[in-house]
Amino acid sequence: MTHEPYDTLAATYAVGALDGQERADFERHLADGCDVCEAILRESAEALAALARSGPPMVPPPAVKEELMRRLAATTPARRGAARPRPLVWAVGTAAAVIAAAAFIGTYVAARYEAQLGVMARESAALRAKVEREMAVLREQTDVYANAADLLRDPQTQIVTLRGLGPSPEATGRVVWHPVKGGYVFVANLPAAPPGMAYEIWTIGDGAPRPAGLFQVDPSKRGAHRIDPVEGGKPVKVFAVTLETSTGVPTPQGPMVLASAK
Amino acid sequence: MATIGADLVRQMAAGDREAFAVFYDRYAPVVFPLILRIVRERADASDVLQEVFWEAWRDAPAYDAARGSPEAWMVTRARTRALDRIRATRRRGDTFVAPLDEGLAAPHESAPDAAERAADRGTVMSALDRLPDVQREVIELAYYAGLTQTEIAERLKQPLGTVKTRIRLALERLRAVVKTSA
Ligand SMILES: [Zn+2]
Repeated sequence: MTHEPYDTLAATYAVGALDGQERADFERHLADGCDVCEAILRESAEALAALARSGPPMVPPPAVKEELMRRLAATTPARRGAARPRPLVWAVGTAAAVIAAAAFIGTYVAARYEAQLGVMARESAALRAKVEREMAVLREQTDVYANAADLLRDPQTQIVTLRGLGPSPEATGRVVWHPVKGGYVFVANLPAAPPGMAYEIWTIGDGAPRPAGLFQVDPSKRGAHRIDPVEGGKPVKVFAVTLETSTGVPTPQGPMVLASAK
Repeated sequence: MATIGADLVRQMAAGDREAFAVFYDRYAPVVFPLILRIVRERADASDVLQEVFWEAWRDAPAYDAARGSPEAWMVTRARTRALDRIRATRRRGDTFVAPLDEGLAAPHESAPDAAERAADRGTVMSALDRLPDVQREVIELAYYAGLTQTEIAERLKQPLGTVKTRIRLALERLRAVVKTSA
């Protein structure tokens, strides 16, 4: 029997939507043992887990953990061996327990970092390659690109995608951002600013948008600009670019042409 | 690939409560928003969260790292239990479906949460955002609202085959996103 229909059935099953006879048939097929379908289901579960992780973390009410720990203590009095050998990973766990006690969210960040290391590594690699390609094209901005490429080697560095908005839907951009060292913005497909105008980049954290520099694009519609770190290393939640008068403005007034998320 | 998460589950299986506490701190902030997204009431979400972690403690000896990451193990369990909860509390045929354009946003989200999410999406690039609307829609309905393919087809007034194809394409895309980043 051909395998083909099972690809679709496996996907539908993975999101819990398979019903009726098809569900029964597919479960029988799984019970017979099918490596391909099992792999699809496994990869789907990982993809859906990654999806769950892609939103912001939410700290649950502390009462939930307290109650769980009470239940554990009540029902599992002495399962722990007194002199159980402790491998290295146990040391890691213990260290994490100390951190958890001190700062709940700190542990979370560590877990998240571990999980997303792969994502960042891959994106960094791709972007590093892109940055390196762009370096060749834009020799006059070698400094900026070289510094950005250096920054990419730092594991704390993030890469933020900018998307074109309203007046410039074709525009794209990247911010290479380090919370302490600051970063660089790179834009492409952004039309030259009209005479007397310039693009202004903004960092937006908890307060009002902070002006982070003015820049122009070259005839190939590309531009790059240094972004200074935010005082005190405060987190930046959104990066945005607006079109302003060429002397810049303290608060955004002109149209937003690029933003890190919408 | 051994991860700290898998080691924690192994320690939990051996009855290590401290490992459980760490495990909770790592994964509760990931699954809690998912549960809340599905059940929508914070009190219900807290109950489900407790149930899910209690089961994780109980089932830790059965965890097999070869079959998936601890994260996927927890996310799958959380989604199932959250849907059980809404099915138990809502009449049949009266399944509540969040407005589609709400996307993954949690209910009653505060402004800082929204900003944080925006920043997060900018840096992490939500896999769901990379899907065409029609694919995103079927994932919302199936995965978060718990509708079956037949119910989705009725709701969208689309042939069953179309619904299935969209689900397959959506998952292929999601899997590709995860794969290329793994
Ligand atoms: Zn198969």
